Amino acid sequence: MEGSPENLSSNHDECPVFMKANREMKRLFVGGLGQGISETDLQNQFSRFGEVSNVEIITRKDDQGNSQKVFAYVNIKITEADLKKCMSVLNKTKWKGGTLQIQLAKESFLHRLAQEREEAKAKKENPTSVNTNLVEKMGGVDFHMKAVPGTEVPGHKKIKKVQKGPMESKVSNISLRTNEVMESNKSTQPTTVHRKAPSTAVPSKSLHVPSSGTQKPKHMVFHTSDFEIIWNKSRMSDDDIDSEEELKVMIAKEENLQKTRHSLVNESENDPFEVVRDDFKSDTHRLRSSTSSGNDSDCDSSDTDKIIAMKKNTVKVKNSAESSQPEKSISMRSSFKKIKPSNDCVEVQNTKSNKESALGHEGKFLNPKFPPDSNTSDSEESEEDEEYKALMKNCPRVNLTLADLECLAGSHQKVPGNDESDGSQNSSHCKFNTTSKSPKTSNDLHSGRQCICPEEIVASLLEEENTYSRQKTEETTLKPKFQAFKGIGGLYAKESGDKTLKETVDFNNINEQSRSSLKHEEPDRVFIENGSKCTNGSSNKLTSCQPAKKVNNPNHIQSPKRQSTSESQSHKVVSFTCFDKESQNPLSCPLPLKGKKSLSAKSHKIESDRDTCHQPKSRKASEKEDTDSSNITSLEKPPKVSFREDPQKSTASFSLSVSDASCMSAKDKHAEDNQKRLAALAVWQKAREVQKKLVHNALANLDAHPENKKTHIVFASDNESETEETSTQEQNSPGKELVTESVGKASGKLFDSSDDEDSDSKEDSTRFNIKPQFEGRAGQKLMDLQSHFGNDERFRMDSRFLESDSEEEQQKELNEIQTNEDELAAERKQTLNVVQSVLNINLSNPTSKGAVAVKKFKDIVHYDPTKHDHAIYERKQEDNEKESKVKRKKKREEAEKLPEVSQDMYHNITTDLKEIFQHTKNTDEKEEDTPWNEDCGREETEEVSVAATLTSGAEHTSGFTFSFFDSDTKDIKEDTYRTEPVKRGKIVYQEDPRFQDSSSEEEEEEVTKEADHKRPSPGEAFPVECTRFFFFSENDDRLHGRSILPFSGVEQVVVQLLLIVYSTQLHLQVLTHCSLMCFIPLHYKAFRGQ
Amino acid sequence: MRPLTEEETRVMFEKIAKYIGENLQLLVDRPDGTYCFRLHNDRVYYVSEMILKLAANISGEKLVSLGTCFGKFTKTHKFRLHVTALDYLAPYAKYKVWIKPGAEQSFLYGNHVLKSGLGRITENTSQYQGVVVYSMADIPLGFGVAAKSTQDCRKVDPMAIVVFHQADIGEYVRHEETLT
Repeated sequence: MEGSPENLSSNHDECPVFMKANREMKRLFVGGLGQGISETDLQNQFSRFGEVSNVEIITRKDDQGNSQKVFAYVNIKITEADLKKCMSVLNKTKWKGGTLQIQLAKESFLHRLAQEREEAKAKKENPTSVNTNLVEKMGGVDFHMKAVPGTEVPGHKKIKKVQKGPMESKVSNISLRTNEVMESNKSTQPTTVHRKAPSTAVPSKSLHVPSSGTQKPKHMVFHTSDFEIIWNKSRMSDDDIDSEEELKVMIAKEENLQKTRHSLVNESENDPFEVVRDDFKSDTHRLRSSTSSGNDSDCDSSDTDKIIAMKKNTVKVKNSAESSQPEKSISMRSSFKKIKPSNDCVEVQNTKSNKESALGHEGKFLNPKFPPDSNTSDSEESEEDEEYKALMKNCPRVNLTLADLECLAGSHQKVPGNDESDGSQNSSHCKFNTTSKSPKTSNDLHSGRQCICPEEIVASLLEEENTYSRQKTEETTLKPKFQAFKGIGGLYAKESGDKTLKETVDFNNINEQSRSSLKHEEPDRVFIENGSKCTNGSSNKLTSCQPAKKVNNPNHIQSPKRQSTSESQSHKVVSFTCFDKESQNPLSCPLPLKGKKSLSAKSHKIESDRDTCHQPKSRKASEKEDTDSSNITSLEKPPKVSFREDPQKSTASFSLSVSDASCMSAKDKHAEDNQKRLAALAVWQKAREVQKKLVHNALANLDAHPENKKTHIVFASDNESETEETSTQEQNSPGKELVTESVGKASGKLFDSSDDEDSDSKEDSTRFNIKPQFEGRAGQKLMDLQSHFGNDERFRMDSRFLESDSEEEQQKELNEIQTNEDELAAERKQTLNVVQSVLNINLSNPTSKGAVAVKKFKDIVHYDPTKHDHAIYERKQEDNEKESKVKRKKKREEAEKLPEVSQDMYHNITTDLKEIFQHTKNTDEKEEDTPWNEDCGREETEEVSVAATLTSGAEHTSGFTFSFFDSDTKDIKEDTYRTEPVKRGKIVYQEDPRFQDSSSEEEEEEVTKEADHKRPSPGEAFPVECTRFFFFSENDDRLHGRSILPFSGVEQVVVQLLLIVYSTQLHLQVLTHCSLMCFIPLHYKAFRGQ
Repeated sequence: MRPLTEEETRVMFEKIAKYIGENLQLLVDRPDGTYCFRLHNDRVYYVSEMILKLAANISGEKLVSLGTCFGKFTKTHKFRLHVTALDYLAPYAKYKVWIKPGAEQSFLYGNHVLKSGLGRITENTSQYQGVVVYSMADIPLGFGVAAKSTQDCRKVDPMAIVVFHQADIGEYVRHEETLT
């Protein structure tokens, strides 16, 4: 944690900014802060240990805005001793509602950026001198800077780097880059930086390839037990899912890990384990995903992708590729897809076409080298040009990456060799650069330092895919090549479904190679070239070349011969003589041009060695195929292939043809290759056909066999005749037929029985039938009886003797069951009691539960109305009904009482109203009353025209409004009420029918009572009223108009009614109007009926 | 085959309660049917009523096992849990310990869990508390007894034993002949 002294010292060498005598500027991570802590608090707290220059409090909030955790970065000038003291004093102490977690933080990335910039500048000034020494130095230094154990905390990702071991040096470089990129994008958020960290941590990948970054760590995870946890943590931190506690614990763990670095032994000094709550439910999904590489990579990549997506759209495109990545690693398809990213064009054209076919990619692959040749559009070309420049700058780096590859492969070859190649072959390397533009190796560092510039960053951004491919290749190199080949080969074999191919995995591998080389000749060559350049006389070439091939492996049909061709191809590429005259592919042209390289004998040897390795296998395979098919393949090969023979190879190779192929000269390669390929295809197809035929024949023979063979036992019962037929066929002589028949019977039917046996068997079949009469308890009795009599036919017991089960028995059975259940219940009770006593708790529920369960079972009774006992179950509904009726009545009465209250009101109001209106028509009132009452009485019988009533009603209402506006405000309400159409009145009436009903009836009754006194004959009433109308003049037009209607008198009646109501009691009107309005339609109906 | 005596029941329940606490009543009083404990050849079997009825048809000396064996009574009438009970203990376990993948194998070979192998532990686990041991992927691996409380676990050195081994699923292979 406290940073090993050497690290610090090295830091100082590099970055004097951070170093001051004893007191160094340190960045401390202070976690677990309470909510209300201010910067000054922190400053005060830490000022006793050193000089606090800057405090930065960061609060993480969840979706709802609740702060989940608060931490701070404190820049402090502090001595080593003080730091330790500070840690020991403050760490894990409670302070203002939080448990402090103090760790060394990595310096803020801005600092680092500035620092690295400086370094880069320094490098540029003296690049050559730096080269050799700095490889180690820089790597180490960088590693210290980035991987200083204490620095991780915020990002949580450092650990991965730390655990990487050999690749750490590269990591630093990557992180450096990430920073640069970040800066260029102006994204200053520390969180993003942290998130990036995982990708940076991966040695061979650029930040742009988050998926790759995540993938690698996974591999690591499996090696170290702790790593998984960390991984989880990192993910958690990204997701912000965790409770604070867990995070704390995790942080503690991380601390731990950082301290221990490589050695897991020391981890346990702090808490390597989590403490979880009782209700903890571990997220198994998460765990699983972490363990399963595929899922995790996706998740994390997506995370990182988001971040990157903010910068560039191209990243999105990349996502798709990434998503498919995990599968790729497993399947041949994957390899196929790997090819895409490896192509420069893909990177360049990320935004446009990610999903182009592999062939298309091949074509574009060479584009960056020679833009004019490319098929791509101008814009693309321009992009390519830019890239090309950037690549050119990076050229030295590329070589280094190759060297790195070698290193990874474990060959420990020397860099200088690469350097040599660098100088001469920069141009040629450019192609390779395109594919491997973002080398993250330590070697790159020193060369790459020079190239740290915006352009590069841009280029790297554009070429995320490229880096991706890069990573893949590196991965492949990391793995033992043969193993990888096997896997892929096996997969391929599955795909192709070729059985013969499956026979030998090695064979498949070789075929694969051949395939790749055949179909993707150009890329292969490029790769091979690179390999040859990089590894001058080293066995590394093998590693570099083969992975390249692997990467290029498409899903194509393979032929055994191709292997040889592929090998020959590689040889061609390696050899300088390779100038393509035919140049079938425009893309292939550049290659020969660049074929200036001098092949070292060593490389040849290596290749020959390889050949020797492969050829035996191939030979086997070919031999196997040959057995099935014709030998055309072997025959065809030599003529095409053999133009040149390497002596070494010939010696090494066992079979002439194969050796020939391997020793092929480069001149006519392309043409030959193509021809060969075609021929090989044809041959292969032929072979397959032959094979098919063979299989077919064999199968046909199988079918035919039974005819030829005699003594097969046929287990079919119904095909006696068939067997006979066959036997007759076999034996032509009729005399022998009998014998054959017998044979047929004896041999053909194993369980065949003679005729009498048949009858027996029938009986047997019946014998084993289940006899229903013996079933059950009674049946058992019967059975006993039967057995008592023995087999005597006369006393055969059948169902007639079956006694019906006595109820007693049933009862017994039931009782038994009951007792059993009771026993169990009792037992359970007992056990529960014991449980109770053991647990010292009161378990009231369980017993009751048991009782309930029993009751439930007993409660189900079939109701039998005839049984008197069951009267209990009868529900007496009548009482309820009666009660309800009574209640209803009561309710009604209550409801009816309400109108009485209103009656009181009516008295009060009437007096007022009367006073108001009496002066106008004192005398009229009484007379008017009478007709209205009459109307009420007649209402059912009298005839009223609807139209008349309606209009009159409406008009009268208007009349009321006029009159009442002056008098009373209440009336206005009434008016509003009245102005509404008739139907409305009805609705109101319906709303509380009881009340209205009763009231209206009562009122009517009252009115009728009154009317009884005053009722004149209806005939008299009409003329009188016509003259007395309050609102209408005697010869009102309206009235006249209505007189046209068949029942002219009726409207008058209605008018009278309204008038009466109006004149007598206003309050009553409120009620009665409703009723009246409702009555009108009724009357109308009545009239109609009449 | 006979029901347990009260004393036996008590002894057994005391043992089981160390692991699942009051969840024990869930074993005895299950909503999905009647389950009971039966003693057979000194072993305690947790049997559903249905199985019990079926097993009643088999004579005692011929009956090898029925239901799920929870453990056996030793000659000194102590109860010893078997790993076969894990299926019933794990879901109800109150105190759990997760061990790291690296330590899994060691545990599955019958070794105690060292602190270095401790991945996660339920808080407030007291000393000698029965715990169920899980892998980090939440697969129950066995059970044991906490040798150290959660707090003590923080302090002890990495090679200290934190969980005493009692039973693990490796016994299905190692003690195949004795497990019934």
